[in-house]
Amino acid sequence: MRKGKIMNKNKNIIKLSSLLLDAIYELKKQRLRQIQDKFRDFGSKCSFAIKDSNLFYTAVEKNWFRSAEKIRTRVSRSLNDFSYYLQRFKEFINIDEPKLPKLSEIFAELLQLDQDLGEYQFDLKYKTISVITEPITLEEINLGSFEIKLYIERISTLYEHAPYKVIALEPNPAGSDSNVTHPHVSSETLCEGDGHVSIRRALEDGRFCDFFTMIVSILQTYNPDSPYISLSDWEGRSCYDCGYTVSGDESYYCEYCDNEFCDQCSTYCQKCDTTMCLGCASQCPLCEEPVCKNCSAKCKECEEIYCKDCLTEEGLCPDCEEQRKEQENEEQEDKSKKSEAAAAVQSDSMGQTIVHA
Amino acid sequence: MRIMYINNVGGGFANYLEIEENTSIQKLFTQKMAGENAEDYLIRVNRQPVPRDYVLQENDRVTITPTKVEGAVR
Repeated sequence: MRKGKIMNKNKNIIKLSSLLLDAIYELKKQRLRQIQDKFRDFGSKCSFAIKDSNLFYTAVEKNWFRSAEKIRTRVSRSLNDFSYYLQRFKEFINIDEPKLPKLSEIFAELLQLDQDLGEYQFDLKYKTISVITEPITLEEINLGSFEIKLYIERISTLYEHAPYKVIALEPNPAGSDSNVTHPHVSSETLCEGDGHVSIRRALEDGRFCDFFTMIVSILQTYNPDSPYISLSDWEGRSCYDCGYTVSGDESYYCEYCDNEFCDQCSTYCQKCDTTMCLGCASQCPLCEEPVCKNCSAKCKECEEIYCKDCLTEEGLCPDCEEQRKEQENEEQEDKSKKSEAAAAVQSDSMGQTIVHA
Repeated sequence: MRIMYINNVGGGFANYLEIEENTSIQKLFTQKMAGENAEDYLIRVNRQPVPRDYVLQENDRVTITPTKVEGAVR
């Protein structure tokens, strides 16, 4: 009974190994197709050179020197592009081609996977193989377990996009973005960072145990220099005014009250561009623009707050300035009237007053 | 003596390597991963963990895989 179960399991592992091997062959084919494309380009570049060579020969023989000169200039220009292209082609073709694994090696990889990372799951119908990680905690933030699901048929598309997903099984996503379930996972896609080349190479070589181990290592490591959302902002930042949770990038700091706000509860000074909250901003009643405390002042008369541009040099708002002018005019008029009246009295009593005895 | 050496660090490569007879896994690690701490790596010989004084044999398959790999936003 037990022997039968083991045999059945091994039979499935052989089937899975065979599927994986086919996928690696397909990947190899894709790689060779890329070389094929480069070869084709190389061939067409060479045929252009032959055509130019024939044209040049004819031009010289027939004394068409202007044409010969044109061809010479064109070839000279093309040669610069060609040498760059040739260098790239050499680099591309000289990369060591990975050795294709044997079925027995893939089988051994799967046995090792079982031994190193615990029981893996595979679905022969949907052609997937999954490893489930232990619960992952980074800097005291529990992110839960992750399922690393490799889509066998997508291995051949390795050079275009990752053939696997990293799925959070007990998600504790970032407060500001529910797609980010790990500092280096967004929308179930892992950003491999330093592991990119070796993960790719492990798949090319059919080293599936190394492939999964590398991904687990990335999930267990936090790189604070380049996360989607840093762990310090994992819970998000709460707007001091409305309480809405926002990411660090969407949070605005008000230097006047030392708090953080969402974009709805913050603004910026139209005069000096300082970011501030709506509570610390004043709206100038005249130009109606928000201004900070440094760029606004009270009118010396009415004590209403205006932006400094809308106040006069004497620190008055336009209304108070007008009132003051009117007042000054009135005072001026009064003064003039009084002096006129005084002048009239003086002219009537000119000469000596007659005093009767 | 020839062994298969698979290094999953950086470029990640698998290749045959000529080593001296009686080379221990610890010596190989020190030679190939100078300045690195062995505790930060999974070291396997023929897919199995081995003690540090294990003496490598002809055709052994040595794998060195980092346990700390920094992911990043591409």
